[in-house]
Amino acid sequence: MDWQGQKSAEMLMQVLLVASAVAAFLVGYAMADFQLMLLVYAGGVVLTALVTVPNWPFFNRHPLKWLDPAEADRHPRPIVISAAALTAVKKKIGKNK
Amino acid sequence: MHSWTQRLLAAATTATLLLLAACVAASALDAFHVPAVQAQAHVTKINRFHKQINGNDKVTLTFNVSADLESLFTWNTKQVFVFLTAEYENAKNALNQVSLWDRIVPDKDHAKLQVEVKSKYPLIDQGSSLRGRKVQLVLHWHIMPNAGVMIRGKMPLSEFNLPDAYTS
Repeated sequence: MDWQGQKSAEMLMQVLLVASAVAAFLVGYAMADFQLMLLVYAGGVVLTALVTVPNWPFFNRHPLKWLDPAEADRHPRPIVISAAALTAVKKKIGKNK
Repeated sequence: MHSWTQRLLAAATTATLLLLAACVAASALDAFHVPAVQAQAHVTKINRFHKQINGNDKVTLTFNVSADLESLFTWNTKQVFVFLTAEYENAKNALNQVSLWDRIVPDKDHAKLQVEVKSKYPLIDQGSSLRGRKVQLVLHWHIMPNAGVMIRGKMPLSEFNLPDAYTS
C-alpha cells in the first residue's frame, strides 16, 4: 500500500464506519428495534473491514518513484577529507616534484 | 510500516467507539420518553390475619391488578420488572414497603395485565402494628434498557384498612 493508499484507506474506514453507525441508528429508531440497529451496524463494520483492511490494487495507484541506480553513478558523492589528511597529501605531492 | 493488522485494529477501535456512541444516543433518547401508565389494584379479600409465633403480624390478601404498561416500552427496552407493594407508616418506620406481587414483562405484547392474585407474597410486619392500619397499594416498575441505566417509576393505586382484630 502506497502513501496515497494509506491516506485513503484511513479516510474510507472512518467515513464508512460513521455512515453505517448513523444509518444503523436511524433504521433501529425508525423500526423501533434495537437488535436491528446492532445487525445493521455489524454489517457496516464487516463491509468496512472488507474494503479497507486487505491491500487492494486500488490502494496502489501512486507508487513511489525511486531514482534509477545509474543516476547515482553519474553523480558520485563528494569525498570529504579532513584538514590533516589534506596537508599530508599536499606534502606527498611536494616531495614528488 | 503499515500492515493489514494495523488497519484491522484501527477499524475495530473506531467501530467500538461508534457503537458506544450509538448506545449512549439510544439511552439519551429514553430521557425524553414520558410513559403514561394506567393501573388499578383493589384488595378483594383478607384471607387470613394473625400474629405469628415470633410476634410479627402476617396478612394474606387476595387482590386484583389490572395495568397497561405498554407505554413503558421504547425501542431501547429489554424488559420491565413490575411489582406491587403495600406501604404503610407506623411508629417504627415512616415508610414500610412490603412486596406483595411481582412479574417480569418481557415485551410489549405482554404489557397488558389483568390478574387476580391470591397472595403471592404475604404481608408480614416487623412487629405487631397492622391491626386497623391504613395500607396503600403502590405499583412500582423498573425499566431495564438494552443500553443505559435502569429507570424506576411508581404509582400509588388504592388504599385499604386492615381489620381491628385478627381473623384467627
